[in-house]
Order: sequence, then C-alpha cells, then structure tokens
Amino acid sequence: MPVKKDYSISKLFCICCLLAFSLFAYGQQQGDSLATRELEGVIVTATRNERTMGLLPMPVSLISKATIKSMGSLRLNDVLAEQTGLIVVPQVNAQGNGIQLQGFNPDYTLILIDGEPIIGRYTGSLELSRIAVGNIKQIEIVKGPSSSLYGSDALAGVINIITERPTRNKLNFYTRYGTNNSLDLNGDVSLTNDKLGVYLFANRYSTDGYDLSPDKFGKTVSPFVNLTLNTKITYKFSPKTDLSVSGRHFKEDQRFNFEVVTNNNPIRTAGKGETEDWNINPVLTHRFSNRLKTVARFYHTQYKTQTNLHLESDGSPYYQDDFRQSFDRPEVNTEYYFNDKNVLTLGAGFIRESVQTSRYGDEAVRLQNTRYSFFQHEWNPTQRLNLIAGGRYDYNTVYGSQFSPKLSTRYEVSKKVALKGSFGVGFKAPDFRQLYFNFTNSAAGGYSVLGTEVAAARLKELEGQGQIQTYLFDPALLGNLQAEKSFSINLGAHAEVLPQLIADVNLFYNSINNLIETQAVAITTSGQSIYSYRNILRAYTQGIETNLTYPLAKYLGLSLGYQLLYAKDKDVVRAVKDGVVYYRDPNTLVTKQLKPGEYFGLYNRSRHQGNIKLFYNNKEKGLEASARVIYRGKFGIGDIRGSIQGEVIPPSDRNSNSILDQYDDFVPGYALVNLSIAKSISRYGLRIQVGVDNLFDYKEPILIPNLPGRIFYTTLNYTLSQKNKTN
Amino acid sequence: MIKLKILISVFIVALFTAFISCDSNSDPDPVVSETIADLNADYAPYESPLPTDRPPSRVGATNKYTLFSFKTGTIVSQADSATVNWDIAFRSTSIIINGGTSGPGSVTAQIVSGTLESITEAPIDGYKSDNKNGTTAEERNAIPAGSGKGWYTYSPGSNLVSPIAGKVIIVKTADNRYVKFEILSYYKGAPATVSPEPAGTDKDRYYTFRYVYQPNDTRIF
Repeated sequence: MPVKKDYSISKLFCICCLLAFSLFAYGQQQGDSLATRELEGVIVTATRNERTMGLLPMPVSLISKATIKSMGSLRLNDVLAEQTGLIVVPQVNAQGNGIQLQGFNPDYTLILIDGEPIIGRYTGSLELSRIAVGNIKQIEIVKGPSSSLYGSDALAGVINIITERPTRNKLNFYTRYGTNNSLDLNGDVSLTNDKLGVYLFANRYSTDGYDLSPDKFGKTVSPFVNLTLNTKITYKFSPKTDLSVSGRHFKEDQRFNFEVVTNNNPIRTAGKGETEDWNINPVLTHRFSNRLKTVARFYHTQYKTQTNLHLESDGSPYYQDDFRQSFDRPEVNTEYYFNDKNVLTLGAGFIRESVQTSRYGDEAVRLQNTRYSFFQHEWNPTQRLNLIAGGRYDYNTVYGSQFSPKLSTRYEVSKKVALKGSFGVGFKAPDFRQLYFNFTNSAAGGYSVLGTEVAAARLKELEGQGQIQTYLFDPALLGNLQAEKSFSINLGAHAEVLPQLIADVNLFYNSINNLIETQAVAITTSGQSIYSYRNILRAYTQGIETNLTYPLAKYLGLSLGYQLLYAKDKDVVRAVKDGVVYYRDPNTLVTKQLKPGEYFGLYNRSRHQGNIKLFYNNKEKGLEASARVIYRGKFGIGDIRGSIQGEVIPPSDRNSNSILDQYDDFVPGYALVNLSIAKSISRYGLRIQVGVDNLFDYKEPILIPNLPGRIFYTTLNYTLSQKNKTN
Repeated sequence: MIKLKILISVFIVALFTAFISCDSNSDPDPVVSETIADLNADYAPYESPLPTDRPPSRVGATNKYTLFSFKTGTIVSQADSATVNWDIAFRSTSIIINGGTSGPGSVTAQIVSGTLESITEAPIDGYKSDNKNGTTAEERNAIPAGSGKGWYTYSPGSNLVSPIAGKVIIVKTADNRYVKFEILSYYKGAPATVSPEPAGTDKDRYYTFRYVYQPNDTRIF
C-alpha cells in the first residue's frame, strides 16, 4: 500500500506555528481574552453542581455558544473535532463519527445532554452527528474517569451538552447552506414571564452526502435528511421550587446505494435506513433552605434504527437489521451546604434498560437493571486549597457490583499558579451486544458472533446439529464478562506564565484492565468462524495535554493546543521487553527482534495532535473572523475487517507480527485549515457568515472515510429579542 | 517538524550503515543456510466466474502434499510418499512431517521463538510427531494448522496468509540430524505487498523458506 507524505501540509503547519509564536512575542496589546472569560464560566458536569470552572480540581473545558457559532459548525462532531485531545474517529464498521479522548475508543466516553445519557450505541460508539448544535448553550468536557458520579461508560471522561433555557423573549432563525447541497435550517423561540418559560427549537438538515471514490458504485456517505425538535418548559412554583420539563425528538432517513462484496462478487444493493430517538426529562428542584437543595429527575428515552437493503437487480430483499433500545432513570440528589468550607452531595437512582434486535436471534426484549447511589464531599479548608472526594456504588443484575471512587484536589500556589491532581476509577459495563449477540453476518462472509450469555447454549445447539468442525477455545472458559475498569491519574497546572499568557498543562495516565476483546471460539463445518467475547486485553494510555491562550491584540485571541499520547497494549509491551516479538522486513525477508522503542502502540492513535486557532471579535464593528489549523499526527489504521465501497481497507501491519511498530504502514499526519468570517448588523438582528472547512481539500478515501473534502458554506442568522429583563 | 526531518535523515543513514555492515559481515557460520523459493504446495486457480452463494472452489487441485528432504535440499517425488526419503511436506497451509500418523518415518519437530541466526542450538526435548486423531490443532500436528496457532496468521478481510515473524521450526530428522527453518512467504515471488487471488493477482500456496541443515551429529548450528 503506497503511503503518501503530505509535506506541503506539514510545512504549512510549521509556518503557522512559527508565525503564531512570533506573533506571541510581539503581541503586547491588552484585550479581552477568550480564555479568561471561559475560565470564569460555570460548569455543572464535574461536580453535578454549578461551579466556577477555574476552581475545579480536575481537567475540564468548556466550549461556548459563541465559539460554536464562530466555527460555523453544524453537528456535534464538527465542534469536538477542533478540540485539543479529542479526535473524531470512524466506528468499527469504518463509518460514522465517534470521539476518542485521552486515547480511549469512543465507547468509553459518556455523552450526555443536560446530564442525561444519549443512548443508541448500536455498534458500541455513539454517532455524534445525531446531535445538532443550534440549541447548545455550552459543551462541558471533563477528562479523566467520572464513574464516581455517572457510573458506567465514564471511563475516559464525560461530554455534557447543555442546551438553551428560556431566559428572555427571543426569536432566532439560522440557516446554513454549503457544499454537497447541504442545507441546515434552524429556528428557536424563547418566551418567558415571571413564572413560566418556554423554549422551542427545530432543526432540519439535509445533504446529498459525499463520494470520495467516484469511480465506485454508491457514495461514501449516502444522502440523508434529519429533523430535530427540542423543547424545554420551566415553571417557578415559588422562589424555592421550580420545574423544568424538556423533550427531544430526532429522526433521520437515509437512502443507500452500495456494493456488497460477498465471495469476491460485487452485489449492488439499494435501500434505506431510519434512525429515531426521543426523550422526556422532567426535573424538579426544591430548596428546603439556603443550605439544602434537592433535585429529583426522571429520564425516559428510546432509540431505534432500522436498515433494509434490497438487490438493485431484481428488488428482492437482501439484508434487514433493526435495533431498539429504551432507557428509564429516576434519580434524586441532594446538596447540603454545611458552611463555606463543606458541601455534601448525595444521590441515588435506578436504571432500567432494554434492547430488542434481530441481531440477538429473536425479537425478545433483553433487560438490565442497575441500582446506584453516590456521594461527594467538597472541602475547602483554606482559600487556597480544595478537595473533592466522592464515590459511587452500582449494582447490576448481570455484571454484579462496582465501586468507583474519585479524589481530586487543587492548590493555589500563588495568584498566578494553581496545581491540580485527581485520581479516579472508571468502569464500563459489558454492553448488550457483548452479552446477547446471536448474529451471523451474511454480508461479510458469514462469520458469527455470540454474546457470552448465549454462547454456551448456542454452541451446544450447533454441535448437536453437527455444524461444529472444531473448537478453537473451550466454551466453558468463556464465563461471565466483567466490567472493563480503569485507574487514572491526572496531574495538572494552570498558570499565567507571562502577563495574560495562560498555560494549562495536564499529565494523564490511564491503566485499563479487563478490556473486552473478541475471542475466536469455533469453526463451523462450512469453514466459518464463530466469535464470542472475553476480558483479555490490558492497556494503558498516557500523555500530556497543553493549552495556551494569549490575547494578541485588542480583538484578537490566539490559542494553541497540543496532546502527546502513548497508548499501548500492556501484554505487547511485556512481550517486546522479553524479546519474543519479531518483525520480518517484507523486502529483504530478514527477520529481526523488535526493540522496545520500536513498538508504536495501539491502532488509530496519533502520538501528536494539536491545533492553532485565531479568533477575531470586534463587537463595535460587528466583525468576527477565525482561522483554525487542526493537526493530527500519523496513525496506524489497523486490520479492520470490512471494506469501503468494495475496496478492502489495507492492514497497517506489513512485517508479519500483527502489532503496530515503526516499520509498518501509517496513515500520514495531516492538517486541516478552517476559515470563517462573519458580519453582524445588530440594528436589524442580522448576522452573515461565510467560511471554508478543509481549505486544502485533504482526503483519504479509504483510510479516513469520515473526512469529506473541502466544504464552502454560508450562514444567515436573524435574531429578534427583547432587551434583557431585570431580574 | 525539523526535528522529525533530522530524525528521518538519521534513520536513513542508520539504515544504510546497517545494510553495509550486513554486507561486510559475511557468513561466520560453519553451516550454510539455504533458501528454497516458490515451492508449489498444490496451487490451483479459483473457478471462474466466481460463485456468489458460496466460497469459490479451486480447479485442478491435486490435494497431494509436496514432499521435501532437508538432507538433499530437493523436492521428493510423489512416488516416494510411503518411504522415509522425505522429511516434511506442504499442502496449502498444512505442513506435515514424516512420522506419527503422517508417514513411515520418525521425524519430529517443534516451533520455537527467535530468528534463524539467534538460534544456535536445537533444544534437547519438546519434539512432537503428527497425530491426526488429536483433538486440538496442537495435538494433531507438530506444526499446528490454523491462524495464530503455528506458523501463520490469516486475515479474513483481506484473505491474506502471513507467516508470523520469529517462528522458527526445529526439525529432528529420522537419522537424528537437526534442521532449523523459517517460512518467509506463502505467495509466488515473495512480494513485499501481497494482494492475493481471487481479488488480487498474487498466487498463494507457494512457499519460500530458509533453512539450515546440520549434517553432523550435533545440536549446535
């Protein structure tokens, strides 16, 4: 597989770096720094209570509505792709968009809307493009395990999307049109009086998709249209009691045309896919006194997706797949202020989750119940020191109980320097797939996957029918799946290095055990493999994340972000150390021992990732502009089973040791340059924006299918709002 | 970025130096290594056109093993299959040795980790013969068949058989002589990048391997 090196882009990145640093050195003017403002932002995700971001002891960041608008973003993946340490990666089937955080796969980051989880992790990770950004007030990101507050899935961290609340009378229309005939229409209205507030949001997004391999049948991303409705009603019963009820409905229809390669014969198929989710979330808050506050919340959500494919030739059915999930959660939590130095939070809840899918061999409903309770104590012994200790206990009917503690502390060394440290345990419960799968993939060679709860019985059944040729692994040893667990340390500093030059540094180390991997169990008489799951892998991720912000000029802010990452399989590290891993040069056929420094690490992880962003915002003239360069260093694509538009994804390993070492093929590093400029005419409530994403049209059709080429767009915004009412 | 370039340059220079030193450092071993290229292990083309409802079959496959003798370093005729004239035999990904349930001889073998150069002495024990009645792949063959079990891995996505680097097979022949050998490629011409049939053009079931035969009565190579 030929691997091109795009020197022009890396050169450009170098030039930008140099330029940025020189500007740094010369920029002396005072200004309203974006960073300072954001530090004063209030976030709820880290402690479940509203806290000033800058005072929190764990690594947190916030993306404001203004930033999202300035980037001209459409969907959640667009926003997250530009953040330091976050990488938008395709899912297992090489389609879609999930988020990688501190080197963790997308399955390990919990994604919430207003504190409630989004469901529909159909293939393990969550499709980020399901989330429109038009109703987002801010996005809060907490890095490091947060299972102590949120339970399962919060291993790598938590991304919490805070949606708008009705705060004043306001009407807003927003539209964006761009390349690929992508049209995004948004409208939201907010109405309030002393007691009642109503917020309504509607979004319709349609696109022709895009095609990175035009000579192949079908598009890389097929055309789709989706609709999002969101409403939030708030009511103040009394100064002590208020209620908020929010709801969301999302529906997407996609029309597919693609080629399936079975036994090397291309079969053209057509069909449609439907995805739908909805939720309702009443939250009742009561302040018993100045010291005691209780929040009772209930959340119900449902997700369903369905794919129907037929043969293009005669219209006969080819493939059918459906998946339904539902999730209910009542929860109560109470916050008690003992005094300025001590705040205690206690909570408890119950989760009932169910899944129904053709992939489990029948349409029976699979249920899982979890009971949990958590506590958190915030202690500020002095003005300079604070400490947060917490823990959560989850009891689940299938995988047993988990206790997830977390301890964080922050110490202000001086007015300009603060140190932070946190230690935590995170876990991820085995998902329904890993427990109940009973699925034979007829579209990809006929292999089967059996969840651990059904594997033994199903294998026995197949054996009875004489369909097992040989066992590769003793099914009796499959046993019960355990939750995947991580132990993590984050150590950081926040410092004003030079006047107004703010630096945030965070060192992280995550040790992950019990990782669930597929295990080949048997081969059928027709030569097909049967897989199940086992807790086999152990891995670690470690690195440094750095963010610098500096006001270059009165209206011009600069930020630089960088993440260094090492993500490795512990057993491979051990084997390399023991000298039992080799590689064979594919050209000379000479075999050599692999040295410890030569093992690169896990697939799909870049050692280097970074960004440079310039934001210009002149409020007086109503002029805004941004230039962002997002860099991702080289990574190995892995041995992904599957194909993109009939082309097999080439494995990275080219020297016969099945691990990624420095002699293997890598997807070369690349930089994306995104620009935007906007003009507001506040007299008429108008804002016009033009922009371009991926200016240099970087594409990797087979290796990075989730990256479309260059996108031009224009947006128009109209706001009608009543002047702020005095509270 | 500049650092990276320097690093690359250093790497290239280092690579060249490595090559030169390899060249100048010619064979200190008393025993010589032989390379056998493209031993045909029952190659047969896929049927055409390819079927859509089942895996394709191969036209004209003989289902016979190709027999090989380390002593002579040559392929042994099929007519001698019931004799002790051969040591090892290849058919597609299966490898049998002349002994146990596979032949009249008493050849035994085992797989060890290392490079051909790093293994300077054959192990005293641990040798096994073939036993087709065994329940696991490891029991059935001294050189087990199956992805990741013996000498190769198989990726279903790309239909690629890749000999695992660092697997050296030690064979103890019927007349108590030792052989160490390493399979280098399973494809004709041992291409650096393989695109196997039927999707690609590279022909499988062609073994390229390198071995060292110790003609004297010693375990030292």
